[in-house]
Amino acid sequence: MNELELRLEELGREVAFPPTPDLAPAVLERTYRKRVAWGRASVAVALAVVALAAAFSVPQARTAILDFFHLGGATVVRVDTLPQTTERSHAAGLGFPVTLQEAQRRTRVRLVLPPGERPSRAYVLGDALVTVVLKAYGKAVLLSEFGSFGPGSLQKLVAQEADVETTRVNGGEALWIAGPHAFEYFGRNGFHQAPVREQGNVLLWLHGDQTLRLEGPLTKAQALELARRTR
Amino acid sequence: MVDRPLDEAGLVERARSGDLDAWETIVRTHQGLAFRTAYLLTGNAADAEEAAQDGFVKAYRAFGRFRRGAELRPWLLRIVANEARNRRRSAGRRERLALRASAAEVRPGDAVPSPEAALLAGEQRERLLAAVEALPDDQRDAIACRYLLGLTGAETAAALGVRAGTVKSRLSRALARLRETLEEGGA
Repeated sequence: MNELELRLEELGREVAFPPTPDLAPAVLERTYRKRVAWGRASVAVALAVVALAAAFSVPQARTAILDFFHLGGATVVRVDTLPQTTERSHAAGLGFPVTLQEAQRRTRVRLVLPPGERPSRAYVLGDALVTVVLKAYGKAVLLSEFGSFGPGSLQKLVAQEADVETTRVNGGEALWIAGPHAFEYFGRNGFHQAPVREQGNVLLWLHGDQTLRLEGPLTKAQALELARRTR
Repeated sequence: MVDRPLDEAGLVERARSGDLDAWETIVRTHQGLAFRTAYLLTGNAADAEEAAQDGFVKAYRAFGRFRRGAELRPWLLRIVANEARNRRRSAGRRERLALRASAAEVRPGDAVPSPEAALLAGEQRERLLAAVEALPDDQRDAIACRYLLGLTGAETAAALGVRAGTVKSRLSRALARLRETLEEGGA
């Protein structure tokens, strides 16, 4: 490399480039939206096939409501038959990923987390429900938080054989659900996520004017311990 | 900015199979160079940000066409630079490059220059930058990518969308022209 080339390289280190903006949140959101669009299309086709098959094989659909439980913005409904649902993995159907700060700005939810937890991103569903993925007891669990803007914004449909128990977290009411159930969400401004079948147990509890939900393969004692530390 | 992660091939494979964490790592690793490349080609920060963002989204959708074992950086730069060049064609005037205010700072271990020497060095840098900016666009872009950004010859060719031989000839003409300009100015 000759002297002029060396001077040009040195010049490159001294050019005043504007600071690089953090492109990742916007790129991820656009990437995620595209994937969801394709994912929804394929789920819609799959559901149509399942619905047709069910129509030919089952003479009459039965879904009687057996019991109700209310807690903040959540309603738990016990039914004799769970509706046809898609099964959700931990990674899918949570909403689109943004930073924690951006999630709080969009939803007006003030996120509370267990001490020492600072996930790099949160998922926003609709305009009011935020979910983060945590590791607890060596397992991945989901912590969702939303403002209690009216009962029924989050609906749990639980099967007859599922256990629903009232309990307490930090002195406040809580519900523990163990067994087959589905999750349905109605956001502000008409947003609706159709029921998805969930794996794992769920603890619902109140924290101020927010409703919190912990979902994962935890025992009741583990979930309660984690909930007590989330403040 | 991190130059290249240790296991880039593994990250690429994970991103191709839909792992958003892997894709985020790739974006964060390359966003600095992608943005600066777009900035040099578009001439303003807003267009550069849009071009880099669109480039990454297009790259994700095009992952199926990325050849296994190939280097990721030139491939990403090609896509981002293409977005940047398209914006420059439709945009107006380009902002001129400027030097950092702290350009004359002394690095650890360097002898402290006299005020006169520092002034002279600053003037020489300004003159060199002005000479680069005065080059025809194709030569200016080649110099900017190859030397100001420190891209390899292959990466410069990818960013400019031309063959490696074309980059060489543009650089050769540009360097000759710069020497002439600097000699005329007594630098």
